[in-house]
Amino acid sequence: MSPVLAPSRSATTEESTLVSRAQGGDVAAFEQLASAHTDRLYAVVLRLVGDRGEAEDVVQEALLRAWRAIGRFQRRAAFATWLHRIAVNEANRTLGKRAQAGNSVPIDDESLKLSAPPHEGPARTAERGELRRSLEVAIAELAPPYRTALVLRDIEGLSTRDAAAIAGVGEAAFKSRLHEARMRVRAAIGDAALLAAPS
Amino acid sequence: MRLFRRGNEHAWSQSRLSHYVEGDLTRRERLRVQLHAEHCPECSRGIRALRALLRLAGSLGALENARAPASIFDRVRADAKAAARGGARAHDG
Repeated sequence: MSPVLAPSRSATTEESTLVSRAQGGDVAAFEQLASAHTDRLYAVVLRLVGDRGEAEDVVQEALLRAWRAIGRFQRRAAFATWLHRIAVNEANRTLGKRAQAGNSVPIDDESLKLSAPPHEGPARTAERGELRRSLEVAIAELAPPYRTALVLRDIEGLSTRDAAAIAGVGEAAFKSRLHEARMRVRAAIGDAALLAAPS
Repeated sequence: MRLFRRGNEHAWSQSRLSHYVEGDLTRRERLRVQLHAEHCPECSRGIRALRALLRLAGSLGALENARAPASIFDRVRADAKAAARGGARAHDG
Protein backbone atom coordinates (compact mmCIF):
# COMPACT_ATOMS: atom_id res chain seq x y z
CA MET A 1 0.00 0.00 0.00
CA SER A 2 1.29 3.45 -0.85
CA PRO A 3 2.16 5.76 2.01
CA VAL A 4 -0.29 8.63 2.14
CA LEU A 5 0.43 12.26 2.82
CA ALA A 6 -3.06 13.20 4.01
CA PRO A 7 -3.34 13.26 7.81
CA SER A 8 -5.89 11.24 9.79
CA ARG A 9 -9.09 12.96 10.96
CA SER A 10 -7.77 13.74 14.45
CA ALA A 11 -4.50 14.95 12.98
CA THR A 12 -6.48 17.08 10.52
CA THR A 13 -8.05 19.04 13.38
CA GLU A 14 -4.65 19.62 14.96
CA GLU A 15 -3.14 20.48 11.57
CA SER A 16 -5.94 22.92 10.87
CA THR A 17 -5.34 24.67 14.19
CA LEU A 18 -1.61 24.87 13.53
CA VAL A 19 -2.18 26.22 10.00
CA SER A 20 -4.44 28.96 11.40
CA ARG A 21 -1.85 29.87 14.02
CA ALA A 22 0.96 29.88 11.45
CA GLN A 23 -1.15 32.05 9.16
CA GLY A 24 -1.44 34.45 12.07
CA GLY A 25 2.37 34.69 12.22
CA ASP A 26 3.13 32.06 14.87
CA VAL A 27 6.49 30.67 13.79
CA ALA A 28 6.47 27.96 16.50
CA ALA A 29 3.18 26.65 15.09
CA PHE A 30 4.69 26.63 11.60
CA GLU A 31 7.71 24.65 12.84
CA GLN A 32 5.47 22.15 14.62
CA LEU A 33 3.37 21.78 11.49
CA ALA A 34 6.30 21.36 9.12
CA SER A 35 8.56 19.31 11.37
CA ALA A 36 6.31 16.27 10.92
CA HIS A 37 7.40 16.25 7.28
CA THR A 38 10.99 17.48 7.24
CA ASP A 39 12.68 14.04 7.34
CA ARG A 40 10.70 12.85 4.36
CA LEU A 41 11.17 16.16 2.52
CA TYR A 42 14.89 15.89 3.09
CA ALA A 43 14.96 12.26 1.84
CA VAL A 44 13.01 13.17 -1.33
CA VAL A 45 15.19 16.19 -2.05
CA LEU A 46 18.37 14.21 -1.37
CA ARG A 47 17.21 11.66 -3.93
CA LEU A 48 16.62 14.46 -6.42
CA VAL A 49 19.81 16.47 -5.95
CA GLY A 50 22.16 13.70 -4.73
CA ASP A 51 24.18 15.75 -2.26
CA ARG A 52 23.51 16.27 1.46
CA GLY A 53 24.71 19.87 1.65
CA GLU A 54 22.67 20.88 -1.36
CA ALA A 55 19.63 18.95 -0.08
CA GLU A 56 19.77 20.85 3.21
CA ASP A 57 20.02 24.14 1.34
CA VAL A 58 17.04 23.25 -0.85
CA VAL A 59 14.87 22.17 2.09
CA GLN A 60 15.79 25.27 4.12
CA GLU A 61 14.84 27.45 1.16
CA ALA A 62 11.61 25.51 0.62
CA LEU A 63 10.63 25.93 4.28
CA LEU A 64 11.36 29.65 4.07
CA ARG A 65 9.18 29.95 0.95
CA ALA A 66 6.42 27.96 2.64
CA TRP A 67 6.59 30.15 5.76
CA ARG A 68 6.37 33.30 3.67
CA ALA A 69 3.49 31.89 1.63
CA ILE A 70 1.51 30.20 4.43
CA GLY A 71 -0.98 33.06 4.31
CA ARG A 72 -1.89 32.02 0.79
CA PHE A 73 -2.28 28.31 1.65
CA GLN A 74 -5.95 27.69 0.97
CA ARG A 75 -6.16 24.10 2.26
CA ARG A 76 -7.33 22.68 -1.05
CA ALA A 77 -4.54 20.10 -0.70
CA ALA A 78 -3.09 18.53 2.44
CA PHE A 79 -0.39 20.70 4.01
CA ALA A 80 2.16 17.91 3.40
CA THR A 81 1.36 17.82 -0.33
CA TRP A 82 1.65 21.61 -0.58
CA LEU A 83 4.98 21.59 1.30
CA HIS A 84 6.40 18.74 -0.80
CA ARG A 85 5.41 20.57 -3.97
CA ILE A 86 7.32 23.67 -2.88
CA ALA A 87 10.37 21.52 -2.03
CA VAL A 88 10.27 19.61 -5.33
CA ASN A 89 9.97 22.89 -7.25
CA GLU A 90 12.95 24.24 -5.34
CA ALA A 91 14.96 21.06 -6.03
CA ASN A 92 14.11 21.30 -9.73
CA ARG A 93 15.15 24.96 -9.75
CA THR A 94 18.51 23.91 -8.30
CA LEU A 95 18.85 21.12 -10.87
CA GLY A 96 17.98 23.58 -13.64
CA LYS A 97 20.72 25.98 -12.50
CA ARG A 98 23.15 23.07 -12.31
CA ALA A 99 22.24 21.93 -15.82
CA GLN A 100 22.78 25.47 -17.13
CA ALA A 101 26.22 25.41 -15.54
CA GLY A 102 26.88 22.10 -17.29
CA ASN A 103 27.08 20.02 -14.13
CA SER A 104 25.33 16.69 -13.69
CA VAL A 105 23.74 15.28 -10.54
CA PRO A 106 26.49 13.98 -8.25
CA ILE A 107 26.31 10.38 -7.15
CA ASP A 108 27.51 10.68 -3.60
CA ASP A 109 27.87 7.13 -2.30
CA GLU A 110 27.99 8.29 1.30
CA SER A 111 24.92 10.50 0.88
CA LEU A 112 22.94 7.72 -0.73
CA LYS A 113 24.21 4.94 1.49
CA LEU A 114 21.65 2.20 1.93
CA SER A 115 20.91 -0.21 4.69
CA ALA A 116 21.87 -3.78 3.70
CA PRO A 117 19.17 -6.36 4.32
CA PRO A 118 19.95 -8.43 7.42
CA HIS A 119 21.54 -11.90 7.01
CA GLU A 120 22.69 -11.23 3.45
CA GLY A 121 25.98 -12.83 2.40
CA PRO A 122 28.89 -10.66 1.15
CA ALA A 123 28.54 -11.80 -2.49
CA ARG A 124 24.83 -11.02 -2.51
CA THR A 125 25.43 -7.67 -0.83
CA ALA A 126 28.08 -6.77 -3.44
CA GLU A 127 25.80 -7.81 -6.29
CA ARG A 128 22.89 -5.86 -4.88
CA GLY A 129 25.16 -2.88 -4.23
CA GLU A 130 26.36 -2.84 -7.81
CA LEU A 131 22.83 -2.97 -9.17
CA ARG A 132 21.67 -0.20 -6.87
CA ARG A 133 24.61 1.88 -7.96
CA SER A 134 23.57 1.36 -11.60
CA LEU A 135 20.07 2.44 -10.66
CA GLU A 136 21.35 5.57 -8.90
CA VAL A 137 23.36 6.50 -11.98
CA ALA A 138 20.41 5.89 -14.30
CA ILE A 139 18.11 8.00 -12.11
CA ALA A 140 20.68 10.79 -11.91
CA GLU A 141 20.79 10.93 -15.70
CA LEU A 142 17.03 11.42 -16.05
CA ALA A 143 15.73 14.91 -16.80
CA PRO A 144 14.15 16.48 -13.67
CA PRO A 145 10.46 15.81 -14.52
CA TYR A 146 11.16 12.12 -15.10
CA ARG A 147 13.43 11.82 -12.08
CA THR A 148 10.79 13.48 -9.90
CA ALA A 149 8.12 11.04 -11.09
CA LEU A 150 10.27 7.97 -10.43
CA VAL A 151 11.53 9.16 -7.05
CA LEU A 152 8.08 10.07 -5.73
CA ARG A 153 6.23 7.01 -6.99
CA ASP A 154 8.70 4.14 -7.17
CA ILE A 155 11.21 5.01 -4.48
CA GLU A 156 9.20 6.98 -1.94
CA GLY A 157 6.13 4.87 -2.68
CA LEU A 158 3.62 7.74 -2.75
CA SER A 159 0.26 7.16 -4.41
CA THR A 160 -0.07 8.32 -8.01
CA ARG A 161 -2.54 10.96 -6.84
CA ASP A 162 -0.21 12.46 -4.21
CA ALA A 163 2.84 12.18 -6.44
CA ALA A 164 1.06 13.90 -9.35
CA ALA A 165 -0.13 16.70 -7.06
CA ILE A 166 3.42 17.23 -5.78
CA ALA A 167 4.83 17.19 -9.31
CA GLY A 168 2.18 19.77 -10.25
CA VAL A 169 0.65 17.81 -13.14
CA GLY A 170 -2.52 15.80 -13.73
CA GLU A 171 -2.53 12.07 -13.08
CA ALA A 172 -2.53 11.13 -16.77
CA ALA A 173 0.49 13.32 -17.50
CA PHE A 174 2.22 11.98 -14.40
CA LYS A 175 1.66 8.35 -15.46
CA SER A 176 3.06 9.14 -18.88
CA ARG A 177 6.22 10.66 -17.31
CA LEU A 178 6.56 7.71 -14.97
CA HIS A 179 6.28 5.23 -17.83
CA GLU A 180 8.94 7.11 -19.78
CA ALA A 181 11.21 7.32 -16.72
CA ARG A 182 10.93 3.58 -16.08
CA MET A 183 11.63 2.71 -19.70
CA ARG A 184 14.72 4.96 -19.75
CA VAL A 185 16.06 3.49 -16.52
CA ARG A 186 15.31 -0.03 -17.72
CA ALA A 187 17.23 0.66 -20.93
CA ALA A 188 20.16 2.16 -18.99
CA ILE A 189 20.49 -0.79 -16.61
CA GLY A 190 19.66 -3.49 -19.13
CA ASP A 191 17.20 -6.35 -18.86
CA ALA A 192 19.92 -8.94 -18.26
CA ALA A 193 21.10 -7.19 -15.09
CA LEU A 194 17.56 -6.56 -13.88
CA LEU A 195 16.48 -10.13 -14.44
CA ALA A 196 19.55 -11.47 -12.63
CA ALA A 197 18.81 -9.25 -9.61
CA PRO A 198 18.41 -11.05 -6.27
CA SER A 199 14.75 -10.80 -5.30
CA MET B 1 -12.02 -9.84 -28.78
CA ARG B 2 -10.95 -7.95 -31.85
CA LEU B 3 -7.98 -9.22 -33.77
CA PHE B 4 -5.11 -6.75 -33.96
CA ARG B 5 -2.29 -6.60 -36.46
CA ARG B 6 0.83 -8.05 -34.91
CA GLY B 7 3.04 -4.96 -35.35
CA ASN B 8 0.41 -2.63 -33.97
CA GLU B 9 -0.31 -5.00 -31.14
CA HIS B 10 3.34 -5.14 -30.14
CA ALA B 11 3.73 -1.36 -30.14
CA TRP B 12 0.49 -0.99 -28.19
CA SER B 13 1.62 -3.56 -25.64
CA GLN B 14 5.11 -2.05 -25.29
CA SER B 15 3.64 1.37 -24.55
CA ARG B 16 1.61 -0.08 -21.69
CA LEU B 17 4.07 -2.40 -19.96
CA SER B 18 4.70 0.03 -17.11
CA HIS B 19 0.95 0.51 -16.57
CA TYR B 20 0.49 -3.25 -16.74
CA VAL B 21 2.98 -4.04 -13.98
CA GLU B 22 1.40 -1.35 -11.84
CA GLY B 23 -2.07 -2.86 -12.31
CA ASP B 24 -3.17 0.38 -13.86
CA LEU B 25 -5.07 -0.95 -16.90
CA THR B 26 -8.69 -1.83 -17.43
CA ARG B 27 -9.52 -5.54 -17.34
CA ARG B 28 -9.78 -5.60 -21.13
CA GLU B 29 -6.46 -3.81 -21.61
CA ARG B 30 -4.77 -6.08 -19.10
CA LEU B 31 -6.01 -9.18 -20.91
CA ARG B 32 -4.85 -7.72 -24.21
CA VAL B 33 -1.30 -7.25 -22.88
CA GLN B 34 -1.34 -10.74 -21.32
CA LEU B 35 -2.47 -12.41 -24.53
CA HIS B 36 0.16 -10.62 -26.55
CA ALA B 37 2.95 -11.28 -24.02
CA GLU B 38 2.21 -15.01 -24.04
CA HIS B 39 3.50 -15.09 -27.61
CA CYS B 40 5.97 -12.21 -27.51
CA PRO B 41 9.30 -12.89 -25.76
CA GLU B 42 10.20 -9.18 -25.88
CA CYS B 43 7.06 -8.04 -24.06
CA SER B 44 7.22 -10.97 -21.66
CA ARG B 45 10.83 -10.07 -20.79
CA GLY B 46 9.83 -6.42 -20.51
CA ILE B 47 7.20 -7.26 -17.90
CA ARG B 48 9.68 -9.29 -15.83
CA ALA B 49 12.36 -6.61 -16.15
CA LEU B 50 9.97 -3.86 -15.07
CA ARG B 51 8.81 -5.88 -12.09
CA ALA B 52 12.46 -6.35 -11.09
CA LEU B 53 13.06 -2.62 -11.57
CA LEU B 54 10.13 -1.72 -9.30
CA ARG B 55 11.40 -4.13 -6.62
CA LEU B 56 14.86 -2.60 -6.86
CA ALA B 57 13.57 0.97 -6.77
CA GLY B 58 11.37 0.14 -3.78
CA SER B 59 14.39 -1.25 -1.97
CA LEU B 60 16.18 2.10 -2.34
CA GLY B 61 13.64 3.68 0.02
CA ALA B 62 15.60 3.40 3.23
CA LEU B 63 18.46 5.88 3.10
CA GLU B 64 20.79 5.68 6.06
CA ASN B 65 20.78 8.84 8.16
CA ALA B 66 18.40 10.63 5.81
CA ARG B 67 17.17 12.81 8.64
CA ALA B 68 16.72 16.52 8.27
CA PRO B 69 19.49 18.35 10.17
CA ALA B 70 18.59 20.34 13.28
CA SER B 71 19.43 23.54 11.42
CA ILE B 72 16.66 22.98 8.89
CA PHE B 73 14.46 25.81 10.30
CA ASP B 74 17.31 28.33 10.66
CA ARG B 75 16.18 30.52 7.74
CA VAL B 76 12.56 30.46 8.87
CA ARG B 77 13.57 31.50 12.39
CA ALA B 78 15.85 34.26 11.09
CA ASP B 79 13.09 35.52 8.82
CA ALA B 80 10.55 35.55 11.65
CA LYS B 81 13.03 37.37 13.93
CA ALA B 82 13.81 39.97 11.27
CA ALA B 83 10.10 40.54 10.71
CA ALA B 84 9.52 40.94 14.45
CA ARG B 85 12.41 43.42 14.68
CA GLY B 86 11.04 45.35 11.75
CA GLY B 87 7.66 45.54 13.44
CA ALA B 88 5.94 43.99 10.46
CA ARG B 89 5.36 40.44 9.39
CA ALA B 90 7.64 39.27 6.59
CA HIS B 91 5.13 36.89 5.15
CA ASP B 92 1.77 37.33 3.53
CA GLY B 93 -0.47 36.05 6.29
